[in-house]
Amino acid sequence: MTVPGPDRQLDPRFIPQQRLVGRLTALAFTGPSLVVLLIVLAAADDVPGWGRVALGVLWLLLVLALAWHAEHWPAKVYAHARYALDADGLVIQRGVYWRSVTHVPRSRVQHTDVSQGPLERRYGLGTLVVYTAGTDHARVSLPGLAHEVAGALRDDLRPGRHDDSV
Amino acid sequence: MTASERRLHPASILFDTARYARLFLWPALLAFLGGGRRRGTDLGPFDFGDADVWLWVLVLPSVALSVARYLSFRVHYEPGELVIRSGILFRNERHLPYARIQNLDAVQNVFHRALGVVDVRIETGGGTEPEARMSVLPVAALGEMRARVFAGRAIPPEQGAELASEDFGIEHRDDAMERRDFSPGDAPEADRPTRPEAAPTPTGAYRPGTLPTPNGAHRPEADAVPLLHLPLRELLLHGFLENKGMVLVGAAYGALWESGALNRFYSWIFAGSVDARGLFREVLAFLAGRGTFPTGRLLVALGGVAGFLVLVRVISMAWAFVRLHDFRLTRRGPDLRITYGLFTRVAATIPIGRIQTLTVHQGWLHRRLGRASIRVETAGGQAGAAVRDREWVAPLVRVERVPAIVSAILPDVSAAPVAWQPVHPRAFRRAVRKALAAVGLVSLLALVALGPRALILGVPLALWAIVSTRQHVRHLGWSATDGTVAFRSGWLARRETLVRVNRIQAVSTHESPLDRRARMARLRVDTAGAGERSHRVDIPYLAADLARGVAERLSSLAAQTAFRW
Repeated sequence: MTVPGPDRQLDPRFIPQQRLVGRLTALAFTGPSLVVLLIVLAAADDVPGWGRVALGVLWLLLVLALAWHAEHWPAKVYAHARYALDADGLVIQRGVYWRSVTHVPRSRVQHTDVSQGPLERRYGLGTLVVYTAGTDHARVSLPGLAHEVAGALRDDLRPGRHDDSV
Repeated sequence: MTASERRLHPASILFDTARYARLFLWPALLAFLGGGRRRGTDLGPFDFGDADVWLWVLVLPSVALSVARYLSFRVHYEPGELVIRSGILFRNERHLPYARIQNLDAVQNVFHRALGVVDVRIETGGGTEPEARMSVLPVAALGEMRARVFAGRAIPPEQGAELASEDFGIEHRDDAMERRDFSPGDAPEADRPTRPEAAPTPTGAYRPGTLPTPNGAHRPEADAVPLLHLPLRELLLHGFLENKGMVLVGAAYGALWESGALNRFYSWIFAGSVDARGLFREVLAFLAGRGTFPTGRLLVALGGVAGFLVLVRVISMAWAFVRLHDFRLTRRGPDLRITYGLFTRVAATIPIGRIQTLTVHQGWLHRRLGRASIRVETAGGQAGAAVRDREWVAPLVRVERVPAIVSAILPDVSAAPVAWQPVHPRAFRRAVRKALAAVGLVSLLALVALGPRALILGVPLALWAIVSTRQHVRHLGWSATDGTVAFRSGWLARRETLVRVNRIQAVSTHESPLDRRARMARLRVDTAGAGERSHRVDIPYLAADLARGVAERLSSLAAQTAFRW
C-alpha cells in the first residue's frame, strides 16, 4: 500500500527567487567576513605564513560552499515540495533530507495571511500562512506560491466553504 | 478606497513613534548627555554636539516606520471576515473570520482619551500575541467594528443592532489590559445562565462571554457526581510515591546554604568521628588489601543514608497530607470540580470542553501497588492568560477505577480498553544501534580521558543500553480509532496519552534519512495548550505508509469535527 502524497508543485519561479535570496545571503556574508579576515591577517603578526594561507583557503571554501548552496539548493527544495488543498484541508510536504508532511484540517484554521516580500514581488510570488490553535503547528507557512494562487488558496480556506460542521 | 475600507487614525503615527521611542529612550538619553558633556559648547538650537546625530539616527527610522505603517494599514469588512492589509515593502494581507474572533479588546489611556481614539486588539485564540492590533482607531470606528463583527458572527441582527447602539464600553486602563474570555457555543458557557442585559457591564468593559449564545439552550444544573475522593491512606501513599520531599529537602538545603548554617553543621558532623571521606578511604584501603574493614562506621553511615531517605519520604507524605487533604473530584454537569487542601483550600473548575489531552501516569512503584495518576491538559480561550496546564484530576487512583474515571471525564470516548498496536518490528534494531553508538561515543571519550580502564565501564553501559532499549521499544504503543488517538511510552515509568479527534489541531509525519532507509516515519499529533514537558502523541518507528495513511485519516476525521475552546 502506498499512500499518494499531495500532488501540486510550487511555482517554478520559486527557484530563481530562492537563488536570488541565496546569492544575497552569500554576499551579505562575503563582504563583512572578508573585511574581518583582512583585519585579522593585518593585526596578527605572529601567525605563520601557512596559517595565513589556511585562513584564506578556509574563507574561500566557505564562500564557495555558500555560493554552491545558493545555486543548487533551491532546485532540490522545489523538487521535494508538494502541497494539496482538498475537502479535508491543507497538506504540505517538504524537506530534502528530513521530510515532513503536515495536515491542517480546514475546520482548525483560525486565520490566514498572504504575505509578499520585495523579492517575492519581483517574481510574482507570495507566501500563504495558516494559523491554528495548536502548539507546534500554531503557524504553518507555505512559501513559493504564485501570489494569485496563494490568494485563491486562502479564499478556499475560508470557513463555510467546504465544512458545514462548524 | 472602497466603502468598507477603514484606515487608522492619523494620531497612530504619534502613538507608534512614542512606542518605538520608548525602546530607544535610554540609549538616546545617554547619547544626548554623553555628547553634550563632550562638546560643551552650544552651537545653536539644533546642535547638541554629537548627540543630535544619534538622536536622529534613532528617532528618524521609527518615525518613518510609523508613517509607513499608517499609510499602508487598511481594514476591510468583508462578508464573513475582517481583512487587514499592511506593509509597503513586506506586504501582508490577513483574513480573520468573524466566527473565529475570540476577543475584541479596546484600551484607552489618558492620551488616547484626549485624542478620542482607542487601541484595539483582536484575538482568535492560540497564540500569545493578539492576532491584530489596531493602534489607534477613532472611537466611532470601534463601534462600527464591534457591530460588524457581531453581525458577522451570525448573532440575530436585532441583538447586533442593539449592541451597536449601546454606549460602547471602553476600558480605561493605562497599562496592561484585561483579556476576556469569549466562548460562544462552548458547552460550559451555554450552561451558565445567560444575561443579555448585562452585555455592556457597569465597568464599561466589553464582556462577550456574557452575551446570549446563539444556541445557548439553558440546561438545568446537573447534580454533582462524585468521581474520586482520597482518604488519608491514599493521600499518604500518594505522598510516598510522588516523593516531593526531595524538592523540599533541596529547597531547605539551599536556604541553609545561603544562611551559612550549613558550615557549622558540616564541621559538627565531619570534624567528629564520622568523617565520610575518611570512611570512603578506609573502605578503598580494605579493598586494596590494607587495613581492616570499618564495619561499625559503615553501618552508621548507611543507617544515616537510609534514615535520610525515610525522612524524605515522610516529609513528602506530610506534604501530600497538607496540600491535597480531602481531595475530591466531582463532575457537575459540563464541569469537573476539584477541591483539596488542608490550610489553603483550592476549588478548581475545569470545563470538560476545555480538556485537550488526558494522560495516565504509572511509575514503577505505582504498578507494584496497582495505582495510577491521571492528568489532563486544558487550553483556555484566553491567550496569554495564566492557563493552568497539566491539571491533576486524579493524583492517585486504583488501576481498576481508571476506565470509569476516564469515561466520566470524557464521555465521548469509548469505554472499551485501548487496542494497543506495537511499533515497527525492526524498531528495536534501529533504536539499539542508536543507543550503542551513544555508548560507544561515551566510552571513547572515557578512553581518551581515563585510559584503558574506562572500558570496564563500557561493557555494563552497553548491556544496560540493550536491555533498556529493548524494553522501551516493547512498551511503545499506539492506537487510532475514529474517535481518539492514543500513544503510550516508557518502561519503568509509563505514560499513556489520549487525544480526541475533535481536539486535533494538525497532524504531521516526519522522516529522517535513517527513517527513509528503513521505510519508517514518525507521526505527530498537535493539540492546543501542550506544555514543554508534557507527554504528547509523537509515535516513532511506524511503517512509513502506515504513518502517512493514519495521518491522512486523522486529519480527515478532524476536519469533519468542529473545534471549540
